[in-house]
Amino acid sequence: MKVLVAVKRVVDYNVKIRVKADQTGVDLNNVKMSMNPFDEIGVEEALRMKEAGSVEEIVAVSIGVQQCQETIRTALAMGADRGILVKTEQELEPLHVAKIMAALIAEEQPDVVILGKQAIDDDCNQTGQMLAALMDWPQGTFASKIELADGKANVTREVDGGLQTLTLDLPMVVTTDLRLNEPRYASLPNIMKAKKKPIDEKTPEELGVDTAPRLTTLKVEDPPARQAGVKVEDVADLVDKLRNEAGVI
Amino acid sequence: MDFALTPEQQMIYDYGSKLAQSYDHKHWLEKARAHEFPREMWQRAAEDGFCGLMVPEEYGGGGLGLLEMALLLEGMADHGVPLLMYVVGPTMALGHISKHGSDQQKSRYLPDACAGKTLFCFAITEPTAGSNSMRINSVAKPDGNRFKLSGNKVFITGVDVCDYAVVVARTTPHDQVQRKTDGFTLFIVDLKAKGVDYHAIDMSIVAPEEQFTMFFDEVDLGPEDVIGEVGDGFNTLFDLLNPERVTVAALSCGIGRFAVNKAAEYASERVVFDGPIGAYQGVQHPLAVAKTQLEMASLMTRQAAWQYDNGEQAGPAANMAKYAAAEAGIMGVEASLQAHGGNGFTHEYGIYDLYSMVRLMRTAPINRELILNYIGERVLGMPRSY
Ligand SMILES: Cc1cc2nc3c(=O)[nH]c(=O)nc-3n(C[C@H](O)[C@H](O)[C@H](O)COP(=O)(O)OP(=O)(O)OC[C@H]3O[C@@H](n4cnc5c(N)ncnc54)[C@H](O)[C@@H]3O)c2cc1C
Repeated sequence: MKVLVAVKRVVDYNVKIRVKADQTGVDLNNVKMSMNPFDEIGVEEALRMKEAGSVEEIVAVSIGVQQCQETIRTALAMGADRGILVKTEQELEPLHVAKIMAALIAEEQPDVVILGKQAIDDDCNQTGQMLAALMDWPQGTFASKIELADGKANVTREVDGGLQTLTLDLPMVVTTDLRLNEPRYASLPNIMKAKKKPIDEKTPEELGVDTAPRLTTLKVEDPPARQAGVKVEDVADLVDKLRNEAGVI
Repeated sequence: MDFALTPEQQMIYDYGSKLAQSYDHKHWLEKARAHEFPREMWQRAAEDGFCGLMVPEEYGGGGLGLLEMALLLEGMADHGVPLLMYVVGPTMALGHISKHGSDQQKSRYLPDACAGKTLFCFAITEPTAGSNSMRINSVAKPDGNRFKLSGNKVFITGVDVCDYAVVVARTTPHDQVQRKTDGFTLFIVDLKAKGVDYHAIDMSIVAPEEQFTMFFDEVDLGPEDVIGEVGDGFNTLFDLLNPERVTVAALSCGIGRFAVNKAAEYASERVVFDGPIGAYQGVQHPLAVAKTQLEMASLMTRQAAWQYDNGEQAGPAANMAKYAAAEAGIMGVEASLQAHGGNGFTHEYGIYDLYSMVRLMRTAPINRELILNYIGERVLGMPRSY
């Protein structure tokens, strides 16, 4: 079996982001970029499938600027076999990404496609679902457990109020949730091996995907600043403050 | 000129920073306060291949250089996890055995050390010979084709957690050599050998590693324990001491950056009068100056490492990097401490806890004055004072 994993280059989760003065977006100058944490979980899950013997090849895909190659290298250093960079300077929306992924699926014929449930920059949570719809494949979103057996997969999903387990036919699309696994760090031997693994470059045009924007961003603003909190002495103090200062009980 | 790290170098730095997030600053601080070695973290890094970073691949290592080691340590220290053991073990001892050891020594010691199964420390300093290494008088007296090592070492980091020490001794006493640099020999000493004894020194520095006094009493050593040539130790000594200066510089830059970043965050939120204190230039500028000094020192550190890896004369840059980084690190912790006000002195914020470690780096492994002597005399060609 073959797994296609999507890896997005995003602002590192430790960075305190700033909105640009002209309110057109987030300032990305001199900001550390890393792999979307949900995609790290995706790569890890693919690696575990391979280590369990159910998968032969893992292909990591990133879509965006040239530097996305670094994100693919990270996936290769974790253990993915090869990479595909779909290069574009264009700002992409979830539908563009889903269409590009669909075009790659047509070329690569994977059995499983893994994406993060969302990327921590725009938090859209749409790409996996759109891709499943475009492919007319089953989807297991917010996966916290994936078991492969006999051309099917049991996917446990984190839903409101509990866990739901679905049986999906392959090929399928899954999106990862936080508790699916704890991703490994790239070991030194694997970092060195990644150097020799191939990364293919393509463009959306070559894949026949139109990436013209369909959305217009009107304004990007900071969330309203939160007041500093106070420490309460004990429960009685808390209740007193909720009743008499906050007036909520 | 290309200042960019290769993707591999970047991933090595990233590994250091991620390791320092799994075994984070709080974990380091707990261990440092208890003087307890972070064994689990060490093991994890060893399993991921990083203890053997400078060891050739055929002996279980990564086959990389000092620059990559410095980047790994910067990645860790930038996130509040500076480890002295990485300087003396994987950098100095393993680096030296890789470079100057016999094939037999390499296959005997390196694979286990890469796997984290054995640890190495490094011993040169003696009670009467710290800054002046020429004066060391631990003597390995030739006895047929073997040696009997006797003497005393002090301030040796991490002896209790180690299996072996790389020991600098004299095979010809200091008063019997023609040139004072003659007669040095480097040995690998098994810490379990008969005649080896050590005691912890009650240090006031907050670090997970402890320092020890070591005693050697007629320790039996053979030719198989000699690294390089008998009597020729001085000629390779700087392949130990320059990497030490470079990695200590990397640690100093890291501690300084960690402290400055903490302060920038704290001062941006702490309100004392009207706005955050970080808006006051009295708070902002010392942090900005320290940041500038730290980044300059870090560049010099990388240059020194690069020169070492490329077989160039790395002495001047390694000394300047160590000097600049220690001073910048101290400046960073100092500015951070002041920005934190009283909170800087609490265990919760732990800024003052960084002070002893970063301040150490002005004194050890080589003190500021000796570095300045070196730069004055060797780089600028001025007359010697001592
Ligand atoms: C925490 C810690 C860990 C250490 N770990 C190790 C280790 O693992 N292995 C090891 O071998 N050693 C280790 N050391 C020892 C360290 O390298 C020495 O302490 C250091 O080299 C200084 O030597 P000294 O203490 O004998 O000081 P001295 O040589 O007595 O010097 C005292 C001071 O005199 C001044 N001075 C000396 N000579 C000159 C000069 N020519 N010109 C101007 N001023 C001068 C300097 O200001 C110096 O600080 C460690 C020390 C510490 C504190």
